[in-house]
Amino acid sequence: MTAYDERRNRILSEVGALEPGVEAGDIFDGVCRFAVEHLDLSGCALMLCTQDSTLDVLASVGAPAGQVAELQFGLGEGPCLDACGSGRPVFAADLASLDVRWPVFSGAACDAGVLAEFSIPLQVGTVGLGTLDLSRDQPGMLDAEHLADALVAADISMDAVLMLQRAEVGSDLAGLLRATGTDRFVVHQATGMVSVQLDASAADALASLRAAAFLAGRSISDVAADIVERKVTFYA
Amino acid sequence: MQDRERLLAQVFVRLADTLVDDFDVVEFLQRLAADAVEILGVATAGVMLSDGRGGLRLLASSEERMRLLELFELQNQEGPCMDAFHNRRPVAASADEGRRLWPQFAPAAAEQGFQFMCATPLQLRGNTLGALNLFRNDDTPFTSNDMAVANAMAKVAATGLLQQRSLNERQLLAEQLQTALQSRVVIEQAKGVLAEYLDISVDEAFQQLRRRARNTNRKLTELARDVATRNVNARDFQLTDR
Repeated sequence: MTAYDERRNRILSEVGALEPGVEAGDIFDGVCRFAVEHLDLSGCALMLCTQDSTLDVLASVGAPAGQVAELQFGLGEGPCLDACGSGRPVFAADLASLDVRWPVFSGAACDAGVLAEFSIPLQVGTVGLGTLDLSRDQPGMLDAEHLADALVAADISMDAVLMLQRAEVGSDLAGLLRATGTDRFVVHQATGMVSVQLDASAADALASLRAAAFLAGRSISDVAADIVERKVTFYA
Repeated sequence: MQDRERLLAQVFVRLADTLVDDFDVVEFLQRLAADAVEILGVATAGVMLSDGRGGLRLLASSEERMRLLELFELQNQEGPCMDAFHNRRPVAASADEGRRLWPQFAPAAAEQGFQFMCATPLQLRGNTLGALNLFRNDDTPFTSNDMAVANAMAKVAATGLLQQRSLNERQLLAEQLQTALQSRVVIEQAKGVLAEYLDISVDEAFQQLRRRARNTNRKLTELARDVATRNVNARDFQLTDR
C-alpha cells in the first residue's frame, strides 16, 4: 500500500465514507466536518461548479464558510471563482495583505473574520467539477500535512461528485470510493479514448470507466489497460 | 570533456531562463531529461515531482514508451526517486544493489535492461520538489563526477521551476506543483483522444502531439488541452503531420 492509499483510507474512514449505504450528501458534509476539525480551519465549503460556471454549495461547515461563498457569487471575484475557472488551486494565505488579487472580496472576507482562504479544484486533467474551499480566521499557509490531507479530501470529493449522476453504482458508494483512487497514466489515456468512443465529455468518460470497473469488480487501471490495448471498447 | 563543458554551459543558461510568459513546465522538464541523457550519457532520464499527498508523479521523461512510464509510476511505492526525495540526498545503485534496496522496483528496471540507476533530489531552499532519475543500460557505473553534474542540473532546474520570487513562496510552490501535475494528466488524456481518433498507439499519439506542437509553434500543454477537450479536429494531425 502506498503512502497515498494509507492517507486516502484514513480520510475515507474519518469522513464516514466507508459506512454501508452512505450517500453522497453525507460524504460532502463529512469532508467539510473533517476539514474544520482536523486541518486547523474555521470553515469549509464544497462547491459544485457547472459548465456555465455557475456555482452551488454542496455542503458547508463553520459559520463563515457559506458566507464566504455567497460573498464571491455576489461580488463576482474570489479564490473559488478563480480556481473553478482555471482548474488551478488558489492559496490566499493572507487576505489582509495589500497585494491580493481580489480587492473587494478580500476586504469583505476580512470583515467577516476570514483572513486566509484556500480553494482546491476538484480536477482530473480537463475534468473540473467544483472546488473544496477552506477558510481560516488567521493568516498563514496550510502546513504540509494539512495540505496533503486537504488535497486527498478534494480527491475523495471529486470521486463522489463525479458519480452523482450514476445510477448503476446503486447504493454502494462506499464500495466505489474504496475501490477508486488509482491515479495512473493508463486511466487518463483510457478516459481520452472512451470520450471519443462515447462522443461524450471527459467527465462522462471517466465516470463510465469507473462505473464499468466497479460493476465488473475490477480495478479501474485494469479496465483502462484493456481499453488502451484495445481489448475492450465502449462503442455502443 | 570540453564538449561536455560547453554543453553544460548551454544547459545552465537554458535552465535559468524560465522567467517567460509562456513557460510550460512539462516542456521544461522534458528538456531537462533530454539534456541529462546527452550530458551524462544515460539511456533514459525522468523527472518526478511531489504530488503534495506523500507520493511522486512522473512529469517528464526522455522517452515516452508506456512500459517506461509504468516503471516510473512504480516509484510511487519504492525506488531511487522515492529514496532521493525522502532522504533529500542522491542515491545510486547497480542492478544487484537495486534488488536489495527495492525488491519490487528492481526486477521491473532489469526487465528494461537497466544496469545502473541513480536519482538526485530537486531541492529549493529546504523544499524538496521531486527527483531527477537516470538509468544506464551499459556497464558504466555513475561516478562521483556524474553525480555532481546531475546534482547541479537538478538544483538549477528546481530554482527555475519556481518562477516568481516572492515572500509567500510556499503557497506559490504548492499552486505551481499542483498545476504542473494536472498538465501531465491533460497530456495523457489528449494521448487517448488522439490514439482513438487516428487508430494509433498512445506512444505514437504522443509523438504526433509533440510534432504538431513544434510545427505549429504551440506549447505542448496548451495543444494537449485543446485535443483532450476536442476543441481541435484530431484528424488534422494525420493529414498534415505524417
